[in-house]
Amino acid sequence: MKVLKITPEKCTGCLRCELACSYMQTGQYQPAKSVIRVSPFEGHTSYAPYTCTQCAEGWCMTACPVGAITINVAGAKDVRDDVCVGCKLCTIACPYGTAFYDPDTRKAFKCNLCGGDPACASACPTAAITYEDTATVDWIGDFAAHRAGRLLETV
Amino acid sequence: MAARHLIIGGGTAGINAIRTIREEERERSEITLVSAERPYSRMVLPYFLDRSIAESHVYTATPRILAEWGVKSHVGRRATSLDPKGNVVTLDDGTKLEYDDCMIATGSSAVRAPVAGADGANVHSFWTLDEAKGVIAGIAPGSHVVMVGAGFISFTILNSILSLGAKLTIVEIAPRILPRMVDGPGAELVEKWLEKHGVTIRTGATVSAIEDVKGKPGTPARKRIKFARGAKGGDIIADVVIMATGIKTNLDWLKDSGLRIDRGIVVDSHLRSNAPNVYAAGDVAQGPDLIAGGTSIHAIEPTAQEHGRVVGANMAGKDVQYRGSVIINIVEVCHLDVASFGAWDDTTAEVISASRPDRPAYRKMLFRGDRMTGAIILGPSSDIWTTNDVGMLKGLVQTGQPLGQFKERLRQQPFDVKTAFIAAKTTARLLPETVVGRPSKAPGDTPVAV
Ligand SMILES: Cc1cc2nc3c(=O)[nH]c(=O)nc-3n(C[C@H](O)[C@H](O)[C@H](O)COP(=O)(O)OP(=O)(O)OC[C@H]3O[C@@H](n4cnc5c(N)ncnc54)[C@H](O)[C@@H]3O)c2cc1C
Ligand code: SF4
Repeated sequence: MKVLKITPEKCTGCLRCELACSYMQTGQYQPAKSVIRVSPFEGHTSYAPYTCTQCAEGWCMTACPVGAITINVAGAKDVRDDVCVGCKLCTIACPYGTAFYDPDTRKAFKCNLCGGDPACASACPTAAITYEDTATVDWIGDFAAHRAGRLLETV
Repeated sequence: MAARHLIIGGGTAGINAIRTIREEERERSEITLVSAERPYSRMVLPYFLDRSIAESHVYTATPRILAEWGVKSHVGRRATSLDPKGNVVTLDDGTKLEYDDCMIATGSSAVRAPVAGADGANVHSFWTLDEAKGVIAGIAPGSHVVMVGAGFISFTILNSILSLGAKLTIVEIAPRILPRMVDGPGAELVEKWLEKHGVTIRTGATVSAIEDVKGKPGTPARKRIKFARGAKGGDIIADVVIMATGIKTNLDWLKDSGLRIDRGIVVDSHLRSNAPNVYAAGDVAQGPDLIAGGTSIHAIEPTAQEHGRVVGANMAGKDVQYRGSVIINIVEVCHLDVASFGAWDDTTAEVISASRPDRPAYRKMLFRGDRMTGAIILGPSSDIWTTNDVGMLKGLVQTGQPLGQFKERLRQQPFDVKTAFIAAKTTARLLPETVVGRPSKAPGDTPVAV
């Protein structure tokens, strides 16, 4: 399966992925509604994008009481808006924190890999986000441990 | 001969078990379902109440789907006894069903506090689809609804009642609301928020009687709610009363079965009772508790789902150990989200907590050493969902990932869970985790392994 590979060292924090994502998902340029979210490290001197891993368990999908979350053609867990009742169970079941709730539409939303052509990867100017046929791993844990750890030591 | 699986109760756990048997089995088995009600999800009833979904939306398996899955069903029938030595279940119409293995998932029922008049007209429970229909028929715009009991169920239907244009009063015997979902400071924020949004709350108030108010003949009887001496405020007049005063597990029918029952049916790590071919799941099962160790009843939807899937896999011949359940709850009241995880009420744990002076925002994180064992998060929906924190708290509690130095990060910045979550490499820990030992299948597909 093709997945979003994150290379945090390449991220400049330009947030184009967030804009592209929110536009694709909601039709609005609104980073607050992006499902890929860029975190600052070391007092905003380094950055890393974070999004759904499309995990094997699919905690959101198995939790949904009405079967609103399915697997789409790209292999991504995808919320069907017409079935979702907005109960938020998926958002507390997802242990990665990547299932969200939209107070405006009263539905859950999450990364669906844009059905196979992820807007974040196309928008990223430095190839910090690429869409590749590879196994998902924890792309940014080591990077974050170094960056966040250094800051903790200095304060 | 094909294995004969018998499922008692067609709620959340029952339907998850049936689906998983069909997904996992090596040889086509015979599945029989006995269920007092048609299969539906209780937790979406609030959305049926506010009319955002039709009745058809609550059903989890229609008769057609059950037929497609090859399930023989006895819907509308109740099991009345179980003989684990003879491997027979008897139904209320005298039918006897033999099984090779059996799963008990009869769930819970609402209980009304023992108050005079609690069973009168226009006094409802809200637990089953039929009860929900009763409440829907009773509420009109402008109705005054009084909910007795300020627990989780009251709060799941609070938004729905307000959106129907009703006026709402909540009456609670305890000194505070939501005793099983948030701590004192959290409850206080919720209470203030609700009062600001026009909901009247009366705590520390013991209802002594619910009586009819004499009105014009032919008009629906209004209700007078009377309080025990010492309660502040006078009687309350209501159009509709909802008694949300607790639930009890549906286990009466098993009293002569010889199954080991404590607060629920005690089950092992494979969710088997003391009769090795009798499993229990969901609200009736006292099963492995991931955080506290030992066994607990966690009467929530995700536990029923996981129990059902684990039992289904084991019935189908797999060997699946259940890692244990974690309490997770979320409720939204008037755009304020409140969630709690794990052992949030453990008074012996180390605590990091924080609130924001300018808005109703509150966090509490509980630790054993450098592992998070419980959490509470509360804030306006417009803030909460711009972060990844809700699910990340669940992930940290579920994995018990050692946070090391990043626990300090949470102490310094309790409103940013993400940095600590990522830097502690929680993702790497989570990626291999599954409940039944393989990637989950999408719910839309008809489950057939053979
Ligand atoms: C209004 C409401 C809101 C809720 N909201 C949430 C929420 O937001 N989050 C959450 O985690 N949980 C929530 N819950 C709780 C959740 O619905 C239950 O924990 C879950 O349904 C338990 O599943 P179960 O399979 O154990 O039992 P149930 O789903 O209750 O199913 C039990 C089945 O057994 C049948 N039965 C009972 N006795 C017999 C018998 N003797 N013979 C045959 N059949 C029998 C019943 O008719 C029913 O079909 C809510 C519940 C309600 C009522
Ligand atoms: S919010 Fe929607 S998608 Fe999520 S669990 Fe509830 S119904 Fe399913």
